[in-house]
Formats: sequence, C-alpha cells, structure tokens
Amino acid sequence: MTIDEIKKVLLEIIQDIDDEADLENLNPADALRDQLDLDSMDFLDIVMELRKRYQIQIPEADYPQLATLDSCVNYLIPRLKAA
Amino acid sequence: MRKYPLLIIGGGLSGLAAGIRFARFGQKVLILEKHSKAGGLNSYYYRKGRLLETGLHAITNYASPEDKHAPLNRLLRQLKIPRRTVKLRQQKTSEILFPGRANLCFSNDFSMLQLQIAKRFPGSVKQFAQMLTEIDAYDAFAPRPKVSARTFVATFLQDRLLLEMIFCPLMFYGGSDEDDMDLSQFIILFRAIFQEGFFRPEGTIKDLLGLLLQQYKNFGGEIEFSSGVKEILTENNRISGIRTDAGEVISCDDLISTAGFPETKRLFSVPEAAAAFSELPEDKTSGRLSFLESIYLFNKSARNHLPEDRTIIFYNLSEKFSYRRPDDAVDLNSGVICFPDNFERNRQGDTIQMRVTHLANYEKWLHAYQDADTSRYPAMKTDWTERSRKVLGKIIGNCSENIVYEDSFTPVTIERFTSRTQGAVYGSSEKIKDGRTYFANLYIAGTDQGYLGIVGALLSGVTMVNQHIFNKM
Repeated sequence: MTIDEIKKVLLEIIQDIDDEADLENLNPADALRDQLDLDSMDFLDIVMELRKRYQIQIPEADYPQLATLDSCVNYLIPRLKAA
Repeated sequence: MRKYPLLIIGGGLSGLAAGIRFARFGQKVLILEKHSKAGGLNSYYYRKGRLLETGLHAITNYASPEDKHAPLNRLLRQLKIPRRTVKLRQQKTSEILFPGRANLCFSNDFSMLQLQIAKRFPGSVKQFAQMLTEIDAYDAFAPRPKVSARTFVATFLQDRLLLEMIFCPLMFYGGSDEDDMDLSQFIILFRAIFQEGFFRPEGTIKDLLGLLLQQYKNFGGEIEFSSGVKEILTENNRISGIRTDAGEVISCDDLISTAGFPETKRLFSVPEAAAAFSELPEDKTSGRLSFLESIYLFNKSARNHLPEDRTIIFYNLSEKFSYRRPDDAVDLNSGVICFPDNFERNRQGDTIQMRVTHLANYEKWLHAYQDADTSRYPAMKTDWTERSRKVLGKIIGNCSENIVYEDSFTPVTIERFTSRTQGAVYGSSEKIKDGRTYFANLYIAGTDQGYLGIVGALLSGVTMVNQHIFNKM
C-alpha cells in the first residue's frame, strides 16, 4: 500500500468509530487523541480493525507509535507493504 | 464437537455486550442462555396480552450526545450503535422522601440536588462540597481492597439524616452489601444516579434487547436460547469447554461467565476445580438482598391522584434507614415507587404504570414456596401486596380502586428465572473487579464483576473482552 492509501484507510477506520469526528481539520503531526476527543477504548478499535482487515498484530508496547496520523502511517508502511 | 474461540454463559446485558464486542472483529462466538428470552435480570414477560418488564425502572448514567467521554456514549461507540439513532427520554424529577423529617428532589441537572441540600441541610453544604471534590478525583475502576463507603461519607457529613438520604437511592439501585457498600461501588452509583441521572429508552426493554441482539447477529454472533450450561469442564488447570443441559460438549479457548460468582462455582462438578475457583463457601459469597416487586396498571382516572412530575420516589419511614434482609418476609418501612410513564415525551396510553419495590427475605419466601400447602405462597403474596398498598396509600394517596391489573414477583421468582442464588439481583457482596479467576481463560462479567446497572452491565461485558481476550489474541 502507498502512504496515501494507508492514510485513507486510517481515516476511514476513525470515521467508522466516530462518525462525527472532524477529519477535515486534522493535523497529521499532532496527537490524534487530543484532536478527536476519543479515549483508549476507541484506540483499541483502530488496532482491532487493522488486525481484522490486514491480519497485522500490533503489540501493546507499540501503541505509543500510533499517536499521530503521521506516526501511524510510518509504523504501518513496512507492515502493509504487501497489502 | 463444536469449538468456539469464545463461549459466553448468559444472554443478559453483559453477555450480549461481550458477544457484540468479540463478534465485531470477525471472531466466532456463541452465547448460551438458559431462559427462552434474552435479558437476564432485565427481561420481560407477557400477561393478558401486555408486555411487562421484569426489572427496569430506569437506566442510570444519562449523558447528552456531545459528552463523548461519558460512560453511556463510550459504551455505544464500543457496541457500534450510533448515539443519535437511540432515542432517550430523561426523567422528570425524583425524590428521596423521609416523611416527617425531610425530602430531597433531584433530576438530571445535578445542581437541583445541591440546591435542595443547601435549603434543607444548610449546615452541611460545605462538607457536601468537600465530599464532591473527593468523589470527582476518585478512580473507582482501579482494583483495590474493599473500603467502607459509610465511613467515607461520615467523615464529611455529620448529619446522619442527610447521610442516610444520600445512601437510600444508591443502595436500592445497586447495593449488594447490607447497610454499607464498598467505596468504589458508592462512587460509581453516586455518579450514575445523582451526577448523570435517569433515563429510559423509547419503547420497552424488549426494544433495547432487540437492538442488541440484532447488532450481535449482524456481526455474525450466535446465540442459543433454552440452552443452560450444566457443567464447566477443565483440563490441565484450564477451561476446556462446557457441557450443556442437553448433554452436548462444546469446547472453547476462552469462557466468560455472566452467571454470577457463586453461580459459576456451582458449575464445576469436580470438587478440586470448584475449590480452586474459590475457597469461599457459598454463604459467604451469595448476596443477601432481594426484593418484592409489584407492578400496577391504573386506569386513566388515577391521573387525578398520582403525581405527574415524579419519576421515582425513594421513601423511608423508620427512624433509622435500614438496608438489609428483613426479619419479616417484606420490609415495608422503605421502598422505591417508580412511575415509568413519568419520563419526558411520554405518550399517554390507556393505563398508567407504577412499580413498587421493597426489601424482602428470600428464606421466608422460599419456605412458603416449598410448602406442601400450595396455597400458602400465593396467599402470602396477596397478603404482603395488600399491606404494601396500605403503606403506599399514606405516601402517594390511595389508588386501589383504579387498579386494572397487578402482578408481583418475589425473591423466589427472581431466582427461578435468572438463576441468581437467593434472588440477589445485585449479586454477591464480593466483587471480582478485574474479572479474572483462578483459571487463566475464565472471566467473570456482569453484576459480580462490579459495574452496576444496565450501562454498567454492558460496560462490564465490553471491558472484559477488551482487557482480557483481545490482548491474548
């Protein structure tokens, strides 16, 4: 997958978790949590949805690497290369 | 032999929520429900063509859609139910009524209770505010040893009357201990009832259960009704599966039991496994608090007598409020009077419903039920319902002549239909807060895990799957 494709998938997943999330004004370099008003239970859903769609395992220790949209993409690039 | 990654005992609210959560990410899961309907303690039945709810007075933890971190809204997101698709009706005003001494009204606007306390207990305003600061800062979900909530509240509120009035609704709507409760439970209930407040979904509990069942099935979840679990099977210190009442063995990777803690222990037929699960004897873990509940339907003329602006009245007549198993079959000195029609946007139907709850003694009702003279139990029901009506007459006025239908259920009824030992609707006084058990792949969810009420039960199911099962996969 390309960077843009990964970004698109992530935004789609977030939108699916909270259909009122303001994605238009999302700053990719800032923490998702602060911008989206979501909590740790919602973030678990992003991880679970990625697992369901692409069978990738994200260990809990790696969750901090999913803090911003940019860091998520960077984390996922090598893992979704073949997807 | 059938095999599932996850089996769930019980199709009540916590079991359904756990099932939805697990099925949502494409996993196979089976719920086994003993009864012919879903809902557990919050179910429904039909009498003379009318649908009657078994347990629901009101749901706690009201939150407006904008408050994204509120337990109710977090829960709905986790179940993937869009908040705006569920229509909620907020309560009007509820009241804590200790006749001849004091009354306190509260609504979903917490300031009403604060103003009422300022008016009736001016000397306690400062202490109440200090207690609130402590409550707001308290993490009630962190596992920690049991602490007496009574002692905590008494360090702030020197006025015993105010203390008892604050405890009264919280105990009636969630107390599993006699005359006290664990501080975490107190704080969960205080927020759920006073700070967030009561609501009802549009329709009945059947509609809410229908929504949850549909969501579960949409995600591919399976549920079997009239399918009790006879036995939990173990192998090498792990749960290997269950045997149903019909004799089928179903194996699983993980098992969530929502049957209750002592009730789950009973499902181990091998004594060593039961002892490993819990060494506590059943009389130490079974809840002692159960209720007599009467449901009344009045004709429209009763509208002239009944309060239209009261949703729930929590009353106490005795000098000292007592929340414990009574010596008599029923304790009429206190109770809950609920008007399920008195929520906002109510359509006026052809009848008005009232539900009345009193503390009841399980043993007394059981003895009557088991008596060789089969007329004794129904006669006892009639007798106590009549006595209850007399007491209610003094509180809300006499409406006996307007009754078009009435039905009552006792601790024995509750035990028979929900499998909760001794009809203890709020479960064991020992809560398993982290949901873990001796067996690494068996978890407790629901009332005995310690989240309370309908929102609590649903959150319990969600949390157990999030914390324990998703992590292992």
